[in-house]
Amino acid sequence: MRVLLIEDEVRLADNLATALRDGPGFAVDWAEDGMAGDDCASNLCYDLIVLDLMLPKLDGLSLLRRLRARKDPTPVLILTAKDGADSIIQLLNAGADDYLAKPFDLGELIARAKALIRRGKGAAHPTLTVLGLTVNTLEQTVLRNGVFVDLSPTEYRVLEYLIHRPRVIVSKRELLEHLYDYNWEHHSNVIEVHVSNLRKKLDAALPVPDPIIETMRGRGYRLAPSLPPAPESDRDQAAEPGRLPIQERGQ
Amino acid sequence: MKLAIQPRSIAFRLVVAVLAVELASSILVVVLSFGYERHIHFRAFDVMLHGRADSILGAVQDADDPDDNVILDQADLHISPDDVYEVYELGGRLLGRSSNWQGTGASVPQHPWGDFSQTVLNGHHYRILRMQGSRTVDPGIKGGTLHQVIVVYGSPTRNVWHVIRSAVEFYAAGSVLLLLVTGPLIAWLLHRGLLPLRQLASLASQVSVDAWQFSPPASAHTTPELAPLTNAIESVLQRLERSFLQQRAFVSDAAHELKTAVAVIKSSLQLLSMKRRSAQEYQAGLERCLADSLRLEAIVADMLTLARAESSTPNPGLQPAADFAACIHQVAGQLEPIASLRNVQVVFNSADSAPPVRIAPEDCTLLVSNLLLNALQHSSAGSIVEISLNLESSQATSAAVLQIQDHGDGIPAEALPHVFDRFYRGDPSRTRTTGGTGLGLAISKALVTKAGGSIAIASQPDPAQPNQGTTVSVRLPISK
Repeated sequence: MRVLLIEDEVRLADNLATALRDGPGFAVDWAEDGMAGDDCASNLCYDLIVLDLMLPKLDGLSLLRRLRARKDPTPVLILTAKDGADSIIQLLNAGADDYLAKPFDLGELIARAKALIRRGKGAAHPTLTVLGLTVNTLEQTVLRNGVFVDLSPTEYRVLEYLIHRPRVIVSKRELLEHLYDYNWEHHSNVIEVHVSNLRKKLDAALPVPDPIIETMRGRGYRLAPSLPPAPESDRDQAAEPGRLPIQERGQ
Repeated sequence: MKLAIQPRSIAFRLVVAVLAVELASSILVVVLSFGYERHIHFRAFDVMLHGRADSILGAVQDADDPDDNVILDQADLHISPDDVYEVYELGGRLLGRSSNWQGTGASVPQHPWGDFSQTVLNGHHYRILRMQGSRTVDPGIKGGTLHQVIVVYGSPTRNVWHVIRSAVEFYAAGSVLLLLVTGPLIAWLLHRGLLPLRQLASLASQVSVDAWQFSPPASAHTTPELAPLTNAIESVLQRLERSFLQQRAFVSDAAHELKTAVAVIKSSLQLLSMKRRSAQEYQAGLERCLADSLRLEAIVADMLTLARAESSTPNPGLQPAADFAACIHQVAGQLEPIASLRNVQVVFNSADSAPPVRIAPEDCTLLVSNLLLNALQHSSAGSIVEISLNLESSQATSAAVLQIQDHGDGIPAEALPHVFDRFYRGDPSRTRTTGGTGLGLAISKALVTKAGGSIAIASQPDPAQPNQGTTVSVRLPISK
């Protein structure tokens, strides 16, 4: 997941970026003023925008209005030092999805960021299950038919992105855009290596390999290529409380 | 029980004033009418006395005796029973007298038209006319005999006085009636007339900190009496609203700055505790937190300095004097390490002998260091900051003028009017990294205002000619 952080206070931005990278493992881009933030956001490659209100050049509220005016659906989390219901109502009505008042709790910020990303992709619960493959986004753990799969951070992030968009073809470019910040050298074969390793590790958990990630030549990847007639393991997991089947993202 | 002396309302005072004027003029009218009535009625009375005296004269008849004497024939006289008369011959012989009188004697009147005198008879005031007349007996035969006769005639004046009193009483009663009618009428008219004033007051009373709208009716601006009040209320409200909004903006900005600074510290600490870290990482994290809290401390200190500088009332007369030149030298020396770190040279050109300026020495140090630090932060590397101190004297005042000129990028024209605003940053990313709190110039302005001086900033950023820089000029009055 890739987050755009628009914050003019250098030290705060530094801390937030580090926390978002270290904690949930997001790719974070930082813009230090409203205009730069607007430029970055127009690339449409972010899963979340964390926006400070008081910004030089273009203030947060105006930037938010610009985003929503051009039908950008990216979830926006506002950081505000302003008190008062009026300003919060104004923010939410302008299209903000959530807000945090300074000084905020870093843990709360991360939790809200995750929740907004999840909601933005149509998932209600932090644990996602598709065809016996379960990803717990809080613990960042992966189970394949109940067997723990040990993944590298990058492999996990690839899988996390794919499982949020099941049965949808995700291009390599999209994966690159959403997994790496703009400081990264964009080599698409890096993705190929990671996906290949991920596929091997997921299959190793099963007695008989059953490829769950399909490669669409020249188009990208697809998780859960077919709709199987509900295997036994899937039924078991669906019966477990708290494990809801993921919703299809509206196209 | 408390006794409060309540000032009377303007309407009441106006009504009382108008009634007092009315009363005074009624009294004047009564007095004048009394004088006038008395004059004309007594004139008529005197004419009547003359007429009656003449008719008495007419009753002086030839006595038909050889000496051609005259007698008063009282048989044909028809006079008012209250009137009195007597007739003498010039020699003193009494010709006749009314029965109800003893007479006054046969003195000759001084005036040809007759003498008037007053007397009291039987308890009544009488006006007496003493008049001289002549009677010729047997004029046809031998030229006749001329008899000089003195007629004294009196008539009571009570009827005249009665008429005068009635007339005066009529005027007085009319005036009192007028007073009684106009009093309430004036009060009512004033009440009606002052209605726009009450409307204005009611509109003004609806203004509050949440609702600053004050929209008086158009007539309030055109009515000569209301226009000054309306304009005053409007301008006061505008100034109040502006300063209130400024104050609110300052509180909001201050809250933003403080909360952001606290958010930095809090997030630094939470970041540190997110996972287990090595001792070096903890060490580095603690140092960052310390730096962050130092910044917070600087913001709070600057805000307090600003509040102190702004809250003290300007009283340039009583302020101690500071040696401006020495202060500049001292501050330049203190900031030398920062200047050399940024590779900027500071040059100070002073006038030969600068007299002390009226500013507290600690304020002077703070002012110069704020301005010089600002100039250093905005200087490009390798450039020069020029400080000059000159004397400027006119007939009325003499002032010391400090100019600090840097050769940086300058300030954009649209930002120039705002640089003295609190928390204003021309270029936020740069000043944040240089550690400014956005209060330096606001503090400088407050200090200069407190000392009764003035501060100005000039900058002409020109892409064609870079490094023209910015010049800050401070003008401080010289103590005598």
